[in-house]
Amino acid sequence: MISIQNLHASVEDKAILKGLNLEVKAGEVHAIMGPNGAGKSTLGNVLAGREGYEVTGGSATLNGTDILELDPEERARLGLFLAFQYPVEIPGVSNLEFLKASVDAVREQQGKEALDSVQFLKLAREKCKAVNLDQSFLKRGVNEGFSGGEKKRNELMQMMLLEPSLCILDETDSGLDIDALQVVAEGVNAMRDANRSFIVVTHYQRLLDYIVPDYVHVLANGKIVKSGGKELALELEEKGYGWLEDAATAE
Amino acid sequence: MSSQIETQAATTETVVLEGKDAEIGRRIGKEYQAGFVTEVESDTLAPGLDEDVVRFISAKKGEPEWLTEWRLKAFRAWQEMQEPEWAHVTYEKPDFQALSYYSAPKSMADKPKSLDEVDPELLRTYEKLGIPLHEQMALAGVAVDAVFDSVSVATTFREKLAEAGVIFMPISEAVHEYPELIQKYLGTVVPQRDNFYAALNSAVFSDGSFVYIPKGVRCPMELSTYFRINEAKTGQFERTLIVADEGSYVSYLEGCTAPMRDENQLHAAVVELVALDGAEIKYSTVQNWYPGDEEGKGGIYNFVTKRAVAHTNAKVSWTQVETGSAVTWKYPSCVLKGDNAVGEFYSVALTNNFQQADTGTKMIHLGKNTKSTIISKGISAGKSENSYRGLVRMNPNAEGARNYTQCDSLLIGDQCAAHTFPYIESKHPSAVVEHEATTSTVSDDQLFLCQQRGIDTEKAVSMIVNGFCKEVFKELPMEFAVEAGKLLEVSLEGSVG
Amino acid sequence: MSEFIQQQLQHVDALERSAWLQQATDGSRDVFANASVPTRKTELWKYTPVRALTEGVYAQAAQTFSAAGLDEYATIPALGSHRLVFVNGRLSQELSSHEALAQVTLFSQADEQQQQLIRQHLDDVMRGSQRHWLNELNSAATNDGVLIHVGKNQRLQQPLQVTWLTTPQAQAFSVNARLLVVLESGAEATLVEHYDSATDAQNSFTNAVTEIRLGANAQLQHYRLQLMQEDALHVGAVHTDLGRDARYQSFHVSLGSRLSRNDLVVNHTEGGSHCEMHGVYVPQNQQLVDFHSCIEHAVAHCTSNEVFRGIMNDSAKAVFNGRIHIHPQAQKTLAELSNKNLLLTNKAEINTKPELEIYADDVKCAHGATVAQLEEKALFYLQSRGISRDEAEVMLSFGFINELLEAQPHDALVQYLRPILARRFGRDFQLSRHLL
Repeated sequence: MISIQNLHASVEDKAILKGLNLEVKAGEVHAIMGPNGAGKSTLGNVLAGREGYEVTGGSATLNGTDILELDPEERARLGLFLAFQYPVEIPGVSNLEFLKASVDAVREQQGKEALDSVQFLKLAREKCKAVNLDQSFLKRGVNEGFSGGEKKRNELMQMMLLEPSLCILDETDSGLDIDALQVVAEGVNAMRDANRSFIVVTHYQRLLDYIVPDYVHVLANGKIVKSGGKELALELEEKGYGWLEDAATAE
Repeated sequence: MSSQIETQAATTETVVLEGKDAEIGRRIGKEYQAGFVTEVESDTLAPGLDEDVVRFISAKKGEPEWLTEWRLKAFRAWQEMQEPEWAHVTYEKPDFQALSYYSAPKSMADKPKSLDEVDPELLRTYEKLGIPLHEQMALAGVAVDAVFDSVSVATTFREKLAEAGVIFMPISEAVHEYPELIQKYLGTVVPQRDNFYAALNSAVFSDGSFVYIPKGVRCPMELSTYFRINEAKTGQFERTLIVADEGSYVSYLEGCTAPMRDENQLHAAVVELVALDGAEIKYSTVQNWYPGDEEGKGGIYNFVTKRAVAHTNAKVSWTQVETGSAVTWKYPSCVLKGDNAVGEFYSVALTNNFQQADTGTKMIHLGKNTKSTIISKGISAGKSENSYRGLVRMNPNAEGARNYTQCDSLLIGDQCAAHTFPYIESKHPSAVVEHEATTSTVSDDQLFLCQQRGIDTEKAVSMIVNGFCKEVFKELPMEFAVEAGKLLEVSLEGSVG
Repeated sequence: MSEFIQQQLQHVDALERSAWLQQATDGSRDVFANASVPTRKTELWKYTPVRALTEGVYAQAAQTFSAAGLDEYATIPALGSHRLVFVNGRLSQELSSHEALAQVTLFSQADEQQQQLIRQHLDDVMRGSQRHWLNELNSAATNDGVLIHVGKNQRLQQPLQVTWLTTPQAQAFSVNARLLVVLESGAEATLVEHYDSATDAQNSFTNAVTEIRLGANAQLQHYRLQLMQEDALHVGAVHTDLGRDARYQSFHVSLGSRLSRNDLVVNHTEGGSHCEMHGVYVPQNQQLVDFHSCIEHAVAHCTSNEVFRGIMNDSAKAVFNGRIHIHPQAQKTLAELSNKNLLLTNKAEINTKPELEIYADDVKCAHGATVAQLEEKALFYLQSRGISRDEAEVMLSFGFINELLEAQPHDALVQYLRPILARRFGRDFQLSRHLL
């Protein structure tokens, strides 16, 4: 699915990722944990192609395509989806027209027929229901005045509509209460299948009780310093990151 | 975690802004699509303005003496007046003696009786602009009056309108055919000495449209005038007068274009609307005069006076989409004279490159329970300056009057400017005035979210801008709403990276 | 040249000012001499006729400066302030209590070091387009100004009160009030600038200018109370410069007078500074209150919030002009302004103009202005609880103003101002009794 090799990236000339390697195969769920400032959010932003995040070395290929030179929308059309930690508000642009434009663009890339408005509305309503958002949200401006939980569910709904092959969840759990977390997790779990992969970036082990990962990686000081199975998350919860960070610096 | 994120966000901002600037530099300079010049032979008066010129124009049109005198009175008033300087615009003042005050295509000397006699070159011009004058080709249900430089060249659907009793013709003809109506209403809304440009227009106006809707008649189709400045070194001074008699309804649209020329050209129009008791006038403008090039060279000075008087229970609605002109000075206004009169102003003003716009409205509440709504959307890009200037006045008799004003600015890029100057004057305790203004930008975060969802930047900007303007576009007649949306897209091309 | 200007110039020329002070305000005399009296066409004075001022004939100074019987007007109970009290323009030792404070000096008593400080800041904070002809007159006529200088990381424990009182005189006279406030970095203070008068009809013209310069991380709480009797003429200006991370909070009250013009200018000159400016105006009878504010955001990452409310009774008139100016460098600015008004009669008048002038794109600015009535729902609710319509109106009107007053941090000032404002609405005691 995605193969990241020796990835280096910097923000405003400050190196954040310093040789990150990660291999995610189709159908796998990888959790990335790590202390503050480790570069967790940077990874998602770099892969999605956010401006200002400069790749200074290494490569990342999505299903064999080198994506690092592509525009963000091209990456999105190839099936890369980033669920934002802080989804931005776009007043004046309704969620519905935004979603239609997005789905149209992605379907076109995939050679699928465009959905007509009626079909799309039906689909959008279904997905709304699936993430427990009232349909009135479709008419409101994108994320405008949404609560934190509503924004996260809106992200999830978009993910469901776009059916991406690689989903990167950037701290989707932060700021959510248990109920909202469950809704999000259920949605994600429902989307798990043999052709879709997930990179779940989180600060809290809690999320991984609901979205059970195949692998857990610890990102510290710009690279992955430890990888393991889901039990690693529990170990981290208990011991914190200190022991790993020390190891990373010692290198 | 959060502090780290904030730092990163701030960082992104800086980096991206640089990118945006670079992009502006690279991609600005798209073509103005209506910028061609038409080769027609013209009768153009030598530059200069004095009483003889005023008399010449009047004589050329075979006007009755009262109108010649009316013009002279305006001219004398104008000579005493100063060009206004309070607007937030800077430009080289026109040399009024260097302008020609009359230009007409030669082939119009003997006015054509029907469209078949109109110079084919002229018809082609309008077709190029997307305004077909041949009736069989015209958009169903839109009657068009086309004004080329100073004269009306064609008016479509006249017969059909006449059946309904609607008069729609060049004002120069109406002076002859309906002198009593013209004499009764001309200058009653915008008096000759109203302001510097209105006085000038009153002295030298050449043509324009006249509309009269009889009592209780709902005009059967949209009326539309297209203005075109072609000749170099001429000013255009058209005058429009619309009278909606009691209980009638009319929807009117004007569109404007001009060739690309290096020098600035002056357009000083006057529009007067009279909505008698219970009448409704909907007046829409899509203004796309040549805005000048990316260096700020050339372009139209659009100094226009538009005003309506709304009598008892009447309603006047101004909708404008302003994307053109180098300098705009324009305040379509409503005098809400009768009780329960309603005034509306919906505006999208977009400036790019070096354009400057100072535009807004005045709502003068005289009658009881009068109501006004102002929705103004200013979009600034490039190095442009965009100002909203408005006045809401509640007079001592305006019991129960209401105004709601919303004034939003969208800034695209860090070189442009947006200003808001709303004047609110209230003298009645039961009158309610509400004014709100906000500013926003097309942020890099918004663009990135769209891109991440597969929508390219240009499409994203156009979605955001269209969303920003939605409240105004919905006021335009359907066909023109689409046109307006496209016009914004074209005008904004290259303003965001 | 207008007679008014001529006359004032004569007063200026007759002043005996020390050379260094003359030098510090150099140029103002000529600017004033060449000024023309504003008319309706002068944008900054569009709604404020100055005839009430210019038709007067003013003596250079008042005849008497007696403090007798004035203590009650100078006292703000429970404030516990150090205070300077001027009577008809001259400092009254009897009413003042500032001796112990090293931070306060009269210009005329300034030592070498203080003179240097005054020369450095005086007339320097007050610059820019809103400085007007009467401010120039003030500078040209400044003699007995007050310097407040709080040193680095010092905190003035008690509020400092500067009061200018006037009493009626045989002939009309002018009072020149000048205040220079310099807070060094990390300094903190509370200042009460207070204009008041005896209750009998006044014939004074007070021309006041306050300049404030806040150093990095300094904090000033500023109250400016204009509570003079209604025949008084008052023209005042406050110009403030905010250094890095400085915080300026001000609260303005104007009861109104025959002419009350107030120019408030805040310059954000360094990043991170915050300005909170609130105010109320409640003119009655034939009074005129004019507030012209201007927030200059010259640098990035500053915030400002301005809230003014006014209630106009009888034939009173108010003018509010609130300008926010975002310079090209001032990215990431947050600026808000709100102005709400109530007209109580159909002879009262309000002219409000919130202005935005924006030259930077990544900013959040908003302003709102309303002219409205008391909410019928709320009136009804009070009435349904047995309160008379008249009293309900008074209570709600007061509430409209009181919302801002109650938010002020010094309780003694809140308690002092509350009855003064309440009486404005319920001139019949029966109507305001629940407010007092």
